[in-house]
Amino acid sequence: MGLVESGKLPKPLTQLLSLSRKYSLWVYQWGLACCAIEMGSAFASPRYDVMRLGVIPFPASPRQADLVVISGTVTDKMAPAVKRLYDQMPDPKYVISMGSCANCGGPYWDSYSVTKGVDQIIPVDVYVPGCPPRPEALLEGIVLLQERIGREDMADRWKGDPIVVG
Amino acid sequence: MTVTDSQKMAYVAAQAADARVNLQFETEDGMTLNMGPQHPATHGTLRIVAQLDGEQVVRCEPIPGYMHRGYEKLCEVRTYPQVTTLINRIDWLGSFANEVPFILAAEKLMDVEAPPRAQVIRTILFELSRLGNISLFLGDLGIQLGGITIGFYAFRDREFVLNQIEAATGGRFHPNFDRIGGLKDDLPKGWIAETHLAMERMRRLCDEFEELVLGNEIFQARTRGIGVIPTDIATSYGMSGANLRATGVDWDLRRDACPPGLSYDLADWKVWTHPDGDSYARTWIRLQEVRESTHIVDQLLDSIPAGPIMAKVPRIIKVPEGEAWVATENPLGEMGYYVVSKGDLVPFRVKIRSASFNNISVVPWVTRGVFVPDVITILASLYFILGDIDR
Amino acid sequence: MRTWLTAGRVIRLSSADTPTTESSEDVVEAVRDERREALAERLTTVLGDAVVETHIRPGDDLWVRVNREAWAEVAEASRNRLGLRFFDFLSAIDWLPSPFGRDMDAQEDLDAGASSSEPAPIVTGYAGGDTRFQLLARLFDIDEHIGVTFKADLPDEDLSAPTWTGTFLGAEWHERETWEMFGISFTGNRNLVHLYLPGAFEGNPLRKDFPLLARRVKPWPGIVDVEPMPGADEEADGDEAGAS
Repeated sequence: MGLVESGKLPKPLTQLLSLSRKYSLWVYQWGLACCAIEMGSAFASPRYDVMRLGVIPFPASPRQADLVVISGTVTDKMAPAVKRLYDQMPDPKYVISMGSCANCGGPYWDSYSVTKGVDQIIPVDVYVPGCPPRPEALLEGIVLLQERIGREDMADRWKGDPIVVG
Repeated sequence: MTVTDSQKMAYVAAQAADARVNLQFETEDGMTLNMGPQHPATHGTLRIVAQLDGEQVVRCEPIPGYMHRGYEKLCEVRTYPQVTTLINRIDWLGSFANEVPFILAAEKLMDVEAPPRAQVIRTILFELSRLGNISLFLGDLGIQLGGITIGFYAFRDREFVLNQIEAATGGRFHPNFDRIGGLKDDLPKGWIAETHLAMERMRRLCDEFEELVLGNEIFQARTRGIGVIPTDIATSYGMSGANLRATGVDWDLRRDACPPGLSYDLADWKVWTHPDGDSYARTWIRLQEVRESTHIVDQLLDSIPAGPIMAKVPRIIKVPEGEAWVATENPLGEMGYYVVSKGDLVPFRVKIRSASFNNISVVPWVTRGVFVPDVITILASLYFILGDIDR
Repeated sequence: MRTWLTAGRVIRLSSADTPTTESSEDVVEAVRDERREALAERLTTVLGDAVVETHIRPGDDLWVRVNREAWAEVAEASRNRLGLRFFDFLSAIDWLPSPFGRDMDAQEDLDAGASSSEPAPIVTGYAGGDTRFQLLARLFDIDEHIGVTFKADLPDEDLSAPTWTGTFLGAEWHERETWEMFGISFTGNRNLVHLYLPGAFEGNPLRKDFPLLARRVKPWPGIVDVEPMPGADEEADGDEAGAS
């Protein structure tokens, strides 16, 4: 793995690795609030069917996941658990922040108990705005993330700016 | 009030569990099991801490608060039209149903009545959000018990109800459509016929659910006689909705204490009760409720009167001084708002009485003496929405 | 009264600008009013001196203010002797006018809130009250379809009341919530620990003098009315330039 992370891999091999990572994203469902139902619609309903994109929404544990969708309001009481579960995920890991609450606090911007933005705790790769975003918006966020993974140079994975859907 | 045998058994099991708790405190034996706050079986971020004796639960305590967003405080700094945007998100599956009692309370304080057309459409949307809510319950229950198929079916058919809500209100999830004195907009063209078709689909989902889940031997074994709640315990905990009707109480706010502003009196339907009070009864009642709800919608769709959809209300809404309590039969149970107004643009105090809060507070009582897998069944059949518990 | 015939039913049409007075509704209101008066009388006979004041809004609701000392007996008597078996909710009200005004909905509120040094008088609602904090609870009779809202004054120096958990098991969570949100303790409730907030949280959020810090830091960003349209602003500037 030292070779991969140093970015000194031959180019075709990097592309092969990126391609396979791109189409086997195991996503850990992090249902927190209203957005969780829209995420459920995107992942579990026959109408949207996320599996056709090569995203597998089944891991029961963060230890098997590559991608996590933080869907909903993160409260101050929940924040330590969010951080802890994120830390348990193996590298490389990606985070989609779904909905206004996870992005910035949303309608609870002045609440005394809500963390205003999950990016205060963990790094976010894709922001999906909306309250809640439609399942299509979440799918677009996933597709954009896959594009980036496909082009990704592993050495500077953390240097890119986050994607904002919309 | 008669106490059935199964209800007596629940008391016996609870007393046995109590005895075991004492034993455990004396011997410091047993094991503590923590579920959550992020756990697939708790659908949401409810944390459950159970003390076990072998496989049996002797004490089980839900720990809410992981979704507490401070609605009651935030309502005090938002104007009345802004409040409806916020309270949509309490019970996020039946969003429109959350707005209605608050709007009715404000209307009561202002002495405004919505025109009949608005009242009927409001009632239809109320029932549609109930369908969207409880259909997901039917799917979710299957998933919790290991039968994923019905979950896909429920998600599939629920989309048709959401389509209708979206066509009328513009929002799939959080319509924010109800206004003091009426509704934001009229119905779009062709909506009534489409909704009839969606109701037909929902009835088919009910039949599928009945065959796939209710008739299933494993489901019956896991729910019959599990989690029995006697009537006086249910009222003492303030349980409402289908959970209360499953204990044999014939009480439905839509029929018995419908606040003015909703037109349930135009429809003819039945309130189902079940004498058992167990997990099976709660599921069965909800299934019948979906069926009755589709009939209510069908009848109301055919009797929408012509006329305006908005009464005359001032542009800047100031609600006169007073206190009002309005409760409606929401998908999860009785949801009420106690609104105190000081004649200002913002409410002075809003006490939100949400159904799940009371429904889940019974969990420590009802889970004593059950097995660990039964905790999942009981929680799933009590049916809660985290936002409705934590507010 | 205008009516509309549809699907074999007569539906009345009304709008708020033409108020229709319907005799049938008036009769219903009067009947329900009598029921509430009777219930208030029964409450007064059963509870005796504990009842301080009652208030009835005809056809709507009944408010009863009781002594704090008799708070537990009120629940016991209501449930066992008056048939009010259904426990709706238990909470409290802080009648202190918010020291922050509307908490910076607009710039004017900020100025007004900063300048007004003398606190506004406390005005309580239905059934009266003498103190800043009042307990608020509601019970319901499922058989008779009638409900009562109870209130009780709590003196500032001793914010505590007897618990209802002996009568209504569900009161435990409600009392924990009230304890957490208002700082009102309930004697006899042994489980007064945080329900919603993390253990290290300081303050009682639903008290009126608890500030929402996000609003303190920054005024509400949604006041679009006071902001001029971008295009209109530039045009105005251009006009001024042309005039000069």
